Amino acid sequence: MSKEKEFDNILDECLERLLVKGETIEQCLQSYPEQAANLKPLLQTALAARQAVAIQPRAEFKAKARYQFRSALQEAASRRRRPSLGWLPRWATVVTIVLGLLLVSGGTIAAASYSMPDSLLYPVKLATEQVQLALTPSDIGKAELCAKFADRRVAEIIYIANKGDAQQVEAITQRLDERLVMLARLTSAPEVAEAPRMLESPPVPSEEAGDDKDVQVRENNRAKLRTTVANYATNHPAGLRAALEKAPESTKPALRRAIAVSEAGYERALRGWD
Amino acid sequence: MQDEESLVRRAQHRDQEAFAQLYEEHFDKIYRYVTFKIGNETEAEDMTQQVFLNALKSISSFKWKGIPFSAWLFRIAHNQVVDYLRSKKRTTVPLDESLVSNDNNPQLLTEQKLDIEQLILATEKLTEAQRDVISLRFAGELSIAQVAKAMGKSQGAVKALQHSAIVALRKTLRVTENE
Repeated sequence: MSKEKEFDNILDECLERLLVKGETIEQCLQSYPEQAANLKPLLQTALAARQAVAIQPRAEFKAKARYQFRSALQEAASRRRRPSLGWLPRWATVVTIVLGLLLVSGGTIAAASYSMPDSLLYPVKLATEQVQLALTPSDIGKAELCAKFADRRVAEIIYIANKGDAQQVEAITQRLDERLVMLARLTSAPEVAEAPRMLESPPVPSEEAGDDKDVQVRENNRAKLRTTVANYATNHPAGLRAALEKAPESTKPALRRAIAVSEAGYERALRGWD
Repeated sequence: MQDEESLVRRAQHRDQEAFAQLYEEHFDKIYRYVTFKIGNETEAEDMTQQVFLNALKSISSFKWKGIPFSAWLFRIAHNQVVDYLRSKKRTTVPLDESLVSNDNNPQLLTEQKLDIEQLILATEKLTEAQRDVISLRFAGELSIAQVAKAMGKSQGAVKALQHSAIVALRKTLRVTENE
């Protein structure tokens, strides 16, 4: 293999370790001391290019796009559905549907996770979330789930508010509040609240390298979670406010409560890191 | 998570939830890729929506022959970006602050926004192929294998492009820093 090709492979391996596995530049350089002088500036530039992942779609755009895409999906499905079973006798249609449901039941839980409150699968989605929380042992894992579920609740509120169902908006806001209260409790827990190290750690003796790697991964997870929560603290109330402008009058009071709940909830959650 | 191949097959049979799952998994990445390539968020929003509507229309023509679904989706996005850039002169619009993930710290937010703008400007000095690799790898978060499939090149060629792109980016970013 030519030297140039070999260096391309080493650079790519280090990028994977840096970008995907959360390792530090120093850890990569330790693996390739002979290439360190050439690798270091390139890895530093790659870290700067990684800023690209900070670009996030606006919450209100995301909710609107999701709603429009789901409408397009439903339209496409309804265009197809009728003729495909229309030729069957009624009893055969029922049998076909039941068999179809049995066949896809393996994917029901996965499918439910993307269902909206007006879907038959929505109770499965809520039940699955409870089970996920119960089965996650670490505080940081639970906090990540709370943030993820709060994001879902906000998308659901925007979706349902568009449909003008104030009662449902109230019910989902209550669930959002429960997740944010739990998130605030968890962000104060020592495992989650510990401040991330700002500087890279110095090289460690090899027998401690494994422990150091675990600590690094935990710190990366903590920092990632904090960025996500800070991002939601801005985007969720903003998304709800944008929905308020277009929502039917009947859902506006409920939406205002949802905005207040999200603002107060994220403020409490971020206080855990202060 | 179910494997992508079975999700795609279900989506091809108009399984709404399967397609919705694919949509959720790829939406942010496609949006980031488009924004990074065209530098204009309003256009990027319209274009991202269009990518998924086009994917919905043509999913039945997708053949699972070693090309991952993500690579196929990024090809659709790439073609739309190419059409857009052909029709309009590229204009980089300053990023809206609400579109950048932040730490609720105004100073950090501004720095992050400037870093991203500087990065987008720096990529304009790369060759088209180098910019594709950087956009797919860093904004689209694809692996080298996926980038290779999306671009229709060998992994070796993509690694070489990645190397030369980062070298060029370093020079440009350093020039910008010194200015």
